[in-house]
Amino acid sequence: MKHYSQISGEISEFSDLPFWKKADGVDLVYVGYGVLIVALVVVSYIFGSFNLLPRDPQDIDLQLMMAPPGTPGRLLGTDFMGRDMLSRLIVGIQAYFLPGLLAIFIALFFGTSLGVLAGYQGEKFNTGITYFTNLIDSFPRLVLILLVIAAFKPDIYYIMLVVGLTNVPVVASLIKGKIQFLKQKNFIEADIALGVPTRTIILKHILWHNCRSLLIIQATLGMAEAILMETSLSYLGFGVQEPTPSWGNMVQSGANYFMQGKFWPSTAPALAILFTILGFHLLGDGLNNILEGKRST
Amino acid sequence: MKLSAIRPIALVLSRELMITVLLLLGVSFVVFVILFASPGDPFSVLLEGQLSTAEVRAGVREAMGVPQPWYFQYLAWLAGMLTGNFGTSIRMGLPVLPEMLRVGLNTLILTIGSLIITLLIAVPIALYSAVRGTNKISWPLTMSSYVISALPVFWLAYIVIYFFTHKLGLFPIAFGFSSAGQKYRWLYQLLPIFVLGVGNGTISEVIRYLRQEMGRVMAEDYIRSARAKGASVWKHAFKEGLLIPVTEIIASKIPFILGGAVIVEQVFNWPGMGRMAWQAAQDRDYPVIMGIAILAAVFVRMGSLFQSVVYIAVNPRASKK
Repeated sequence: MKHYSQISGEISEFSDLPFWKKADGVDLVYVGYGVLIVALVVVSYIFGSFNLLPRDPQDIDLQLMMAPPGTPGRLLGTDFMGRDMLSRLIVGIQAYFLPGLLAIFIALFFGTSLGVLAGYQGEKFNTGITYFTNLIDSFPRLVLILLVIAAFKPDIYYIMLVVGLTNVPVVASLIKGKIQFLKQKNFIEADIALGVPTRTIILKHILWHNCRSLLIIQATLGMAEAILMETSLSYLGFGVQEPTPSWGNMVQSGANYFMQGKFWPSTAPALAILFTILGFHLLGDGLNNILEGKRST
Repeated sequence: MKLSAIRPIALVLSRELMITVLLLLGVSFVVFVILFASPGDPFSVLLEGQLSTAEVRAGVREAMGVPQPWYFQYLAWLAGMLTGNFGTSIRMGLPVLPEMLRVGLNTLILTIGSLIITLLIAVPIALYSAVRGTNKISWPLTMSSYVISALPVFWLAYIVIYFFTHKLGLFPIAFGFSSAGQKYRWLYQLLPIFVLGVGNGTISEVIRYLRQEMGRVMAEDYIRSARAKGASVWKHAFKEGLLIPVTEIIASKIPFILGGAVIVEQVFNWPGMGRMAWQAAQDRDYPVIMGIAILAAVFVRMGSLFQSVVYIAVNPRASKK
């Protein structure tokens, strides 16, 4: 038995092997690293929300300012007020975790709905969706977010609403493309001929069986984008405010000390951002290469 | 260029211009809707700063029959914008348009400069790995492009500033766009361009796209024919394999680079649109941020206009569809 997987009209044969055996070694490294980071973020988030922290993140210790990582009792050192870096990094996850999930949900839900409309219902929605996509793409996201902040208030959920909505066109066009390809494979026609209800065709046969991996990949990339936006905005002073930690405002508040040559208070959260975003990107791309077979070389 | 080559360009240009106008109308509508939905009505915001007292404002409103339906307010705002009246900044008390054009130029320099830096890094890597495939050199390069793309741009900026002020001692500690030492002023102005070019987070995507397109073209039959008859492969592959993909990816990444410019301008005190937008969002200076959103959208649209012109110039057949 052969599985057929497609990219933009091409049909390539995949064997029956499980994905980790037919995948490229590089992609497995990508995915492995990504899964590790995601697990770390989720576990840290859970620990943080149950307040299971090494120390109180607000506990100021003026005797021990800007301790390097590895100081006894403070695994990742302390910031410029002697607050425990590890605890603050863990609590900082809360600034983007739930809002990021909201952004992903919005992007996937509306993107899928629009994509199904355009792909399944046919051409009359197509022009409208192309226009909508170009319209959203005309705004630099950060500028659009600043506009929303000026009009309403600097609230992370407004920001994530914008992040989610601006990701809708990407998801919609991917789903649309996928459905247009699936239509060539006749099983939708067969479904209709057999009298399978439309709901089942779309939800089960199209979305669940054929678009699942695509949606997971988009969710991963969406989270990377949400983290980037949250950290950028709290760096700019619009997100979470001191003393509540967020990775962005931690980098910002350590900046003065950075210029004096005391790198750690800024660098620790910056590295957290770097490794986390890298993890989500690599997970998304690795999964894309493995599940959707998009390897160009 | 021959006349026959210009005609399709003109045709497509007019079509693309129409689309651009439609999109910019949509952009202005979105901006209006966001402000209309916000607490406080946009018309009062636009009147603010132009008329001194609340009584005069109320008088004007009554004379104009406000509250008017929303579409009238929108049309009035749009008409004002088309005649160059973007309103008056609440904070600065100056008309928005000249201020915006002044800083817009700085942002344009920053954006185009960093696009060039991005391409200078991405194109060689992409070409190398497209031609040679994944090997010992291209794989670490690709991997580091991923790392660079995840790098927070503000932190990269700190490192660069620290390195140049403390290690090389080229700039005074209290740095700023205008306070930089006269001697190295030009260098100081290159730093933000470099930082944004490296750290805008698009390098890995640009490399991936260019490599994929170049790889696809290299596998085409006409490249094999060129190779077989001893012609220059590079000459045959250049247009489809590099020129078009580069313009496409540039056009699609301009919004991201403008977004990154907000942060980089903030760190380097670069007097551009991004900094102005940041300040306007702080002060809730509606007319300014509305103007900037629209000007930014104009930049983005100009980018894709440029892309379609190049596309048609390279491939005139595409204008016939």
